[in-house]
Amino acid sequence: MQVGDESALEVLYGRYGGLIFTLALRIVGDPELAREVLQDTFLRCWDGRDAYDSARGRVPGWLMGIARNRAIDLLRSRPHQARLREREPPVGLASEPVQPDAADSIMLRRAVVSALRGLPIAQRQAIELAYYGGHTQVEIARELGEPLGTIKSRTRQAMELLRDVLWPLIEPRREA
Amino acid sequence: MHPTENLAAYALGALEGPEGISVETHVATCATCGSLVEQYRAVVSTLPMGLDPVAPPPEAWAAIRAEARRRRSPVREWAGTGMRPRWRRAMWPVLTTLVASLLVWNVMLQRELTRRAPGPAPGPEVEALSRRPGRIVILQGTGKPGASARIFVAVDGGGHLAVSGLASLPPDRTYQLWFVRSGAFPVSGATFRADGYGRAWAKVTVPPSLDDVRSIVVTEEPAQGSGAPTGTHLLEATAWR
Repeated sequence: MQVGDESALEVLYGRYGGLIFTLALRIVGDPELAREVLQDTFLRCWDGRDAYDSARGRVPGWLMGIARNRAIDLLRSRPHQARLREREPPVGLASEPVQPDAADSIMLRRAVVSALRGLPIAQRQAIELAYYGGHTQVEIARELGEPLGTIKSRTRQAMELLRDVLWPLIEPRREA
Repeated sequence: MHPTENLAAYALGALEGPEGISVETHVATCATCGSLVEQYRAVVSTLPMGLDPVAPPPEAWAAIRAEARRRRSPVREWAGTGMRPRWRRAMWPVLTTLVASLLVWNVMLQRELTRRAPGPAPGPEVEALSRRPGRIVILQGTGKPGASARIFVAVDGGGHLAVSGLASLPPDRTYQLWFVRSGAFPVSGATFRADGYGRAWAKVTVPPSLDDVRSIVVTEEPAQGSGAPTGTHLLEATAWR
């Protein structure tokens, strides 16, 4: 894609488009805005493709980072807040099957679900508020009425547990 | 001392500005923490897999493809084909002269900005830094025509950045300078905001080694700064060596 190969963009979209839309929808809670995030993410990737190094397997993280930042920007924007207040409860948002995954992706997906379920609730909450809510550690501590040090410890412990389980599955994919 | 307690939050993008910048600076120079953050980030990128998958609207890809085609610049079309217009070779002497002129112009602009800057007065610090041996890198407004910047990089580390022509940003946004490296995460050099005249000045944290830096860019990011560039390249220096 670094040489402007549109088919490479299509491959990326086929591989990560569903995941990015799912992530965006989880953050903004609105299919229209999630679609906007999806489009922005891939176009920013296209515009800034010279800065990517797909050989080192960092594209998914980069794409998710762009999508998350864009979604959180929208989440915090005033028009979005107003829109959510006025909006009818979401309809037609039932889960739909995405494109079939490769076997190793299915295995990783199952591992992620299992690892997240295995976290103590307080640790999972710290991770979700940070990642999907876009909150800083200070904001999470304030929201939960907990000391900042407690939130930092929970976040680190949760990430360590996730890393122990998931990194052995992720590493071979990056090297492949 | 390693900021162990903050690395996970940093990888999640959940640290406040100064604390985040502090961790980022440490991570850029500490292989142990850098490796751990890289693993955390890889784990973070899989978190959406824990959600019930929802397929995007079928028409979404067509819209993205159409816009990508519209944005593809003629320069990109040459890449990978081995073809270069003949006039590009003849342009080198002209470009060399132009770059030399820009250097002189930038030094003059720096003096003028230093003299007139209404923001935090760099004054003696810039003067002292500018007297050290080093080089100037010029960034062009690739994503923001009319904007430009130059970075003075001292050979013994440290540097400063002077910018003109950037828009003033809302409170929840900032500009961020990046050193984009081959085979490694980009490193943030500074976050800064432009004044009402579109000017900015900032101290730059320069990576210990510039050998693997292949471009220097400025992007627009959330106010607390980002762990990696997510915005369009507004300013860029690629052939900067």
